[in-house]
Amino acid sequence: MIKKILIVDDSPIARKMLNSSLPKDKNYETMFGVNGEDGVVKFQEFQPDVTFLDLTMPIMDGYKALEEIRKLDKNAIVIVTTADIQPKSIATVMELGAFTLLKKPAKSKSIEETLEKIEVKLSKIAGE
Amino acid sequence: MSHETEPIVSDEEKEILQEIMNIAFGNATADLAEVIDIYVVLSVPNIEILGVGAIPNFIEKSVKVYSEIDVVEQKFWGDFNGSGLLVFPNNAGRELINVLDEGGDVDSFEAKPIDNLEKDILMEIGNILIGACVGKVAELLGTIVTYSPPQVISNDNNNEYSYFIDSFDPNQSAILMKTVFKFKDQDISGLLLLLTNQESIEWLKQALNAFMESYE
Repeated sequence: MIKKILIVDDSPIARKMLNSSLPKDKNYETMFGVNGEDGVVKFQEFQPDVTFLDLTMPIMDGYKALEEIRKLDKNAIVIVTTADIQPKSIATVMELGAFTLLKKPAKSKSIEETLEKIEVKLSKIAGE
Repeated sequence: MSHETEPIVSDEEKEILQEIMNIAFGNATADLAEVIDIYVVLSVPNIEILGVGAIPNFIEKSVKVYSEIDVVEQKFWGDFNGSGLLVFPNNAGRELINVLDEGGDVDSFEAKPIDNLEKDILMEIGNILIGACVGKVAELLGTIVTYSPPQVISNDNNNEYSYFIDSFDPNQSAILMKTVFKFKDQDISGLLLLLTNQESIEWLKQALNAFMESYE
């Protein structure tokens, strides 16, 4: 079951938009990372069930952060939220192990549907 | 007694605009990738508030690595009113000819003045990137814009470039949205600037705040 969500984006506005688009009734515990490097540190500290990750960020971009997070935990569930929806960018993040990619600004409905799919996946794993 | 000038936009409005520009430019590059087999590496956009008279200097400082530049300019009108400028190093058109597979032999082009084919390519890329970027900003802010046809201004043509520089009214202010980009496989970097005219700044501030209200 999803309890903890990490949101990594250099833009405070993007973090606020995403946080307010999460389903309100689930009472998720959230934490924020302000760039890729900070995101990796927060991932280790917070151990989130789901991480939302932007791609275009200073200090460490989302591609590198995704790689680092997946090195720390090969089962980490990472949803890439980005404005960069070029086919090559999408292919790269999927190869790096992202769960999915949501186009910015991500709508509440698509966030909710994606989290529901993750819940199903987590229940299957728990039942095995 | 000192007079502190009220900033034209607040820090939060700047941050909202930065995120909107990020979304818009991402969409624009995806539109370009649909037409041309090209991959654009994006950078974090930057928002500056400048006197319009300072813009030519700003452009020259931003692209100081290139001795000569070509600028694709496209104006837009509506509630959101201003100009889109795509700034390339002078050889970019020649490099991009190969990408478009127009059958041009890069070495056979004269260095100056800019060849018509190069101009056409820069205009086409400018049209796609500026149009898609401005269009997405307008869509996110709930308005529509109309565009002038794009034009290429080369700084190896002194008359053309002087006329362009002189067109900036030093008495006005502008919000300048800057994104640096790189066509990865071609090793070409450029700059996309959106300038908002003074008359639409008030509208823009209201639109930015209305945009964020849905996320409060």
